[in-house]
Amino acid sequence: MSNSTLVFLKSCETRLYVIISQRTCVDPQTVKKMLMLQVSRCINFDFRHTMIHGAPGTLLGFASGARPGLPFRRCPWLLGVRKALCSQPASTYRRCPPSSRELLHLGLKQPAPCLIHPSYRTFSQGPKNPTPGYTLRTRLVVTLLFGGGILATWWYVYAEKQQKMQMQRMEQLKKVALGHGCFSLLDHTGQRRTKADFLGRWVLMYFGFTHCPDICPDELEKLTNVVKALDEEAGLPSVQPLFITVDPERDDVAAMARYVKDFHPRLVGLTGTPEEVREASQDYRVYYSKGPKDEDNDYIVDHTILIYLINPDGLFLDYYNRTVSDMQMLQSIRNHMKAYMKMSPK
Amino acid sequence: MEASNAPNALQRRACWAARDELWRCLDEKSDDDAALCDAFRKVFEAKCPAQWVKYFNKRRDFLKFKEKINSDGFEPSS
Repeated sequence: MSNSTLVFLKSCETRLYVIISQRTCVDPQTVKKMLMLQVSRCINFDFRHTMIHGAPGTLLGFASGARPGLPFRRCPWLLGVRKALCSQPASTYRRCPPSSRELLHLGLKQPAPCLIHPSYRTFSQGPKNPTPGYTLRTRLVVTLLFGGGILATWWYVYAEKQQKMQMQRMEQLKKVALGHGCFSLLDHTGQRRTKADFLGRWVLMYFGFTHCPDICPDELEKLTNVVKALDEEAGLPSVQPLFITVDPERDDVAAMARYVKDFHPRLVGLTGTPEEVREASQDYRVYYSKGPKDEDNDYIVDHTILIYLINPDGLFLDYYNRTVSDMQMLQSIRNHMKAYMKMSPK
Repeated sequence: MEASNAPNALQRRACWAARDELWRCLDEKSDDDAALCDAFRKVFEAKCPAQWVKYFNKRRDFLKFKEKINSDGFEPSS
């Protein structure tokens, strides 16, 4: 430090002591004027005595490495200054007042509100107070970014894994080769329909029979709700619901027509000869077995209770049993559709 | 004999309602008082096809059995 001036303001009961250190001697009047300028900003003072401590460079020499045996008792203010320089807060100390021969002091009428002059704060507080470090906001931002980065990575890895699982499942389904045959049945209007007629559309297929006590109506109700919900969703292709009978002896075209009108308007009922029905059901590995007839010749057909999802390429994608709710089904179908659209953008 | 037409939606719902009434009655009463639900049973048998009556009776037995298993635990019969 060249011609710098260190000014310490230390309170000592009602007196404020200003300690100056300079490398070169300077005219007291100049110092006083400078002090009046600096200090007057925060305290009221009047000059009683004006003294300059010691020889130039004393404090600096003292600060850089104290010599043992310094007369602290005689110069308590030195102790205060040393404390300040050695990172301790400014404090009042008991031995007051310091020798008037040894320092410049300004008498005060009352304790100074600002003990340490703002412009010299770092000096008087000494190197003790470290830089405040990073603000809370900075730390928060960094933490959030870091956390966000971790989350993003996790999400990306998770999405990759989901996609891989999806690909694997597609492979498995292709191996299962369900629904590869070509059914040919009569719809409820008497028109002949084949599997090819439904290519290019998503299909939800259910096998049942019209004399079913509760299961088929429930499942068809669920199917209707799902198809309706998908209709309402923009951006998703519409689904063709199909109802294929496993009881062709009783469920002729008229019976199918009567039955399907209670459900979704687009629901197509398919029937045919027992052979045609057998072929279609074998294609989809649907089990069905006629129960014993009673005196009314009525019987119940035991059958697989599944709703099949077929994609526009005619590939069987998924199935939904009794335990799957319509919300779950909806979500699953949505996912399949999105995956399909991603893989083959048209 | 020609099999009759399958029940339509209205008939189905009527049958299910009768079944629910009967089952509710049976749930409220203990097994000994089952005879008190005979009125409901008659309605139920009138509204539902014979096959359905048999089917729903079997279903009720199964549901009761399942309940018993869940609460009392299963005891093999030997």
